[in-house]
Amino acid sequence: MTSNDQDIHTLTGAYALNALPDDERAVFEQHLDDCDTCASEVAEFLATAAKLGGLLHEPAPAALKGSILDEVDRTRQERPSGSNVVELAPRRTAPPPWVTWLSASAAAVAAVAAIALGVQLSSLNDRLEQAEVTASQAIEQLDQVEGRTRQVEQVLAAPDIQTVSYQQDGVQSRLMLSHERGQAVFVASGLDPAPHEHTYELWVIGDDGAVPAGVFDVDDDATVTQVVEGDFATAAALGVTVEPAGGSPQPTTDPIMVMELSS
Amino acid sequence: MDQDSPHVRAVRGDVAPADDNLLLAVARGDRDAFSALYDRFAAIVHGVVRGVVRDPSQSDEVTQEVFVEVWRLAARFDTDKGSARTWMLTMAHRRAIDRVRSEQSSRDRTDRVGHRDRGRSFDEVSEQVEVSLEHEQVRTALSALTALQREAVELAYYQGYTYREVAEILDTPLGTIKTRMRDGLVRLRDAMGVTA
Repeated sequence: MTSNDQDIHTLTGAYALNALPDDERAVFEQHLDDCDTCASEVAEFLATAAKLGGLLHEPAPAALKGSILDEVDRTRQERPSGSNVVELAPRRTAPPPWVTWLSASAAAVAAVAAIALGVQLSSLNDRLEQAEVTASQAIEQLDQVEGRTRQVEQVLAAPDIQTVSYQQDGVQSRLMLSHERGQAVFVASGLDPAPHEHTYELWVIGDDGAVPAGVFDVDDDATVTQVVEGDFATAAALGVTVEPAGGSPQPTTDPIMVMELSS
Repeated sequence: MDQDSPHVRAVRGDVAPADDNLLLAVARGDRDAFSALYDRFAAIVHGVVRGVVRDPSQSDEVTQEVFVEVWRLAARFDTDKGSARTWMLTMAHRRAIDRVRSEQSSRDRTDRVGHRDRGRSFDEVSEQVEVSLEHEQVRTALSALTALQREAVELAYYQGYTYREVAEILDTPLGTIKTRMRDGLVRLRDAMGVTA
């Protein structure tokens, strides 16, 4: 993340206590790669937390050791690579946990498949930051933007438009969605460009797990505006992950952003 | 950090290098070292897992998962970056949290917040543990925290709540909770003379 980073340094404590939600944990771990100050504080905090853990003696069942040794005998060791980092959860073929709990908590909301649309809407974004902006104001703003704005207008003109906001570590985003039209406008700012040969991918998370909802990268001014559409029957959240260029049929990394959609 | 304080040395002490050496031997495929390491850490690892996961049979599964991972990934352990004990307990806590979070898929998440009896309180837990110098040190350090620091740290570490859930439970702004977790750990770290 490039901007408003002051805040992220305060997450060392929550991280060491494993108190960051999965999405924030993934973002913070990226930050740790770049920030020596946080990395050394985290190392000390992990050692401190391990002391807290030392209070929790509880004998393991006697049979467990044999069962573990059996499994160990069948388990090949990884070659040395020289890192103390605890690996992220093993790769799964099943949806990752963040997908499943979001799916399960689905009440009834938005969903989407994607129509990629990279409209310059930084001015809209600025307005949205200030407060609740009505759909008509947004459309007025949009009228000045050339090109592919019509779909955005149509979505924002929906009578049942509602806005979901997300803000974290310099990333701000809004999802303005219409159940009636089965469409939404996704606007985000403050995102770093996707890594080389990677792309951001949107996911609509509902009862059926994560459904791909389009890929995007950010504009020069670190913003993105994208129309997403689909059947809003079951979605619980909109998620964003980093995926190999071209996108993936299912998420392969932890999300950098999860916008929960309340019904 | 107080690198030169005798207190610090006392904490890193004699025990850690022995454990470190065991784990280094495990990294070379030494099954006997693994067995010895298991004997030394099974109760602590299982205690951490059980505290967070609660359910006995799931706790057994997670403890097994942790030790198999210790075996599999032992080559990643690097004494420059921390002790064997920290490495293993970090892994144990993380895997326990992962299990609890994936378990939540089948429950209403809001159901969990507000039910503070899911995990055991520190006081309940502490009744069960043996008395030792180190425990005394941890308890003393915990008791020197402000109420909010202590609650925030304990709800997260011992009961596995996210900071957002902790904020909700304690009816305190998110930013405050993040800060209390951090300055609580700073205070614990300094009180216990912990170095990485």
